[in-house]
Amino acid sequence: MSKTPLLEIEDLCAKVADKEIIKGFNLTINEGEIHALMGPNGAGKSTLSYVLSGKQGYEVTSGKVLFKGKNLLKMSTEERAREGLFLIMQYPVEIPGVPVTTFLKHSVNAVRKHQNLPELDTMDFIKMVREEGKKLGISNDMLKRPINVGFSGGEKKRLETLQLSILKPTFAILDEADSGLDIDALKVVADGVNAEHNEHNAMLVITHYQRLLNYIVPDYVHVFADGHIVQSGGKELALELEKTGYAQFVKEK
Amino acid sequence: MSGLLQEIKLFGDNIPWLEALREKGKEAFMTQGLPTAKTEAWKYTRPRDLQTDDFVMYENEDTEECNHCSCEEEEKKDACHHREIKNIPIEGYEINFYNGKLQHNHSELPKGVFIQSLPEAIIYNDEIKHYLGKIVDINNYPFAALNTAYIEEGVFIHIDKGIKLDKPIILINHTHSCHENLYYNIRNVIVAEKDSSLEFLEVYKYSGIEKSRYFANIVNEIYIGRNAKIKHYKLQEEAFKAVHIALSQVKVKEGGEYKSFCMQKGANLARNETKVQLTEEKAKAEVNAAYLMNGWATIDTTTDIEHLSPETCSNQLVKGIVGGDAKGVFQGKIHIAPDAVKTEGHQLHKALLLSDRAEIDCKPELEIYADDVKCSHGAASGELDAEQLFYMRSRGIDEDTAKQILIEAYLEDLFSQIDNEQIREWLRVSK
Repeated sequence: MSKTPLLEIEDLCAKVADKEIIKGFNLTINEGEIHALMGPNGAGKSTLSYVLSGKQGYEVTSGKVLFKGKNLLKMSTEERAREGLFLIMQYPVEIPGVPVTTFLKHSVNAVRKHQNLPELDTMDFIKMVREEGKKLGISNDMLKRPINVGFSGGEKKRLETLQLSILKPTFAILDEADSGLDIDALKVVADGVNAEHNEHNAMLVITHYQRLLNYIVPDYVHVFADGHIVQSGGKELALELEKTGYAQFVKEK
Repeated sequence: MSGLLQEIKLFGDNIPWLEALREKGKEAFMTQGLPTAKTEAWKYTRPRDLQTDDFVMYENEDTEECNHCSCEEEEKKDACHHREIKNIPIEGYEINFYNGKLQHNHSELPKGVFIQSLPEAIIYNDEIKHYLGKIVDINNYPFAALNTAYIEEGVFIHIDKGIKLDKPIILINHTHSCHENLYYNIRNVIVAEKDSSLEFLEVYKYSGIEKSRYFANIVNEIYIGRNAKIKHYKLQEEAFKAVHIALSQVKVKEGGEYKSFCMQKGANLARNETKVQLTEEKAKAEVNAAYLMNGWATIDTTTDIEHLSPETCSNQLVKGIVGGDAKGVFQGKIHIAPDAVKTEGHQLHKALLLSDRAEIDCKPELEIYADDVKCSHGAASGELDAEQLFYMRSRGIDEDTAKQILIEAYLEDLFSQIDNEQIREWLRVSK
């Protein structure tokens, strides 16, 4: 079976505030694959996710990134999202005054419009969001509240997962999706993420600990240190890292 | 001598008390002149646009029909044919002004409520004498003095004791660009007798050419009786070269309540000034405002709340959104007289700056002469939150929409305080 590449990163270098963080990063992710990116704190894991989603202040100095064959780096943040790139953030921001449903409706319709799908009217939209929310244990009341304001860590990640399930991206990055989660919340989020996974989409799971990978099982595991991948392997690599730690890789530099 | 004092024929020049009042206004304006850089109350908002001497006041018959104007240019002609503004989707009793002239009165009003044109009231209703020009301090408000010198256009609204009006009274002034440099004064008197309640919405809009230049000078005198309540809303959406100056002078008696929300988003130079006197015990005022602006505009929100009796209470929340090279001004004064013990006065001003060139000037003033009072004031300004913008954009929402959503959220606490749902929703989409 020949695989179709979804995301191709070649020799990517990027800096933040004049400091080089990503140094010659290479990775190709094909349709249907789940990759895990593991590494010590400060390796540049979150930086990579921001570079891929086009956040301001994250400057690509060289290299290229193709998403579905298109030059990702030329797209604005919103274009990337509409093309099907989705980032589950480690610390989703609170937005007082903006109810979850208002925000989700704008988001869903922006993405649908881009895909030449008709915009959802309010009734259809609410129905859909409530149904998807229910699966993740998100109450109707929570949908009316301002985005992430007063949400627990678990609620925040559930809301991220809800967005994943209604936007149906082709490529999702999970940036430390397990941080701030107890084991029950972790399961709910992992189940939600797994339910969305199929042979046409792919995922990059960024994590510090192996724990999350018990629930979202990767096809490949990469060790990320000092701005690039230092070792790649199958899912057993994660277990190995759990025993040996990252010290061996950090020492290398 | 300012070009704003012009010889025109006014209604009722044979009524001595009216002429005397106008004369006083004229004198007071001549004494003060236009505010200058040295005028403390106007130090941030300089009415330079009014120094050009080319504003023209029209007598009544001149502006009745659009045909009077010389619609030679195509652009203007086209604008003339679109003089109708869209109806406002709010149920209420409408009063329409066109270029500062009262057009027609609303039709049926419930018992105990009347609305008269000012000339009508002056001729037929002696009561107006007790109110017209009685609370406006023309010696300290040059534009109110000017307005007084030309008392003619406007309405007298009166609501009897105990009457609670079911729908808002909506005053719409619609300026159309037929006349170059049009200038007009509007004077309204609103009286709510004991235990009555009333909602009043003022709307200032333009049609025709966006860059038409005119000067609207508005004064409202508002009297709130014992335990009466007035909710006063206003949308100022004048053409972007216009000058709009307005003063609402309010007097609140025992247990009465004045609650206002003014949203300003038009004109090149605008000032909305609210002066409230809480003259008797337990009188209350809530004076809220929002301003949203771009370009080179200066929009000024000035308040002055006088607590003159014990247990009076006031709250002010003013929020601004300023982009381009625009300048937002907030001057807020809370005065607590020696007798006004157990009084509360709170004030908060917040502004969002959307560009590096935008400017905010904020001057809070607290004058407290009584002990045992609770007072506070605060001011903050900042930018849109970059993390919030990124979050929304990373979900496919374009930058402009994301900014709009954040701006709406920023103003949400103001909108949520508007009790009338139709007015609230209408103002929300007008923002």
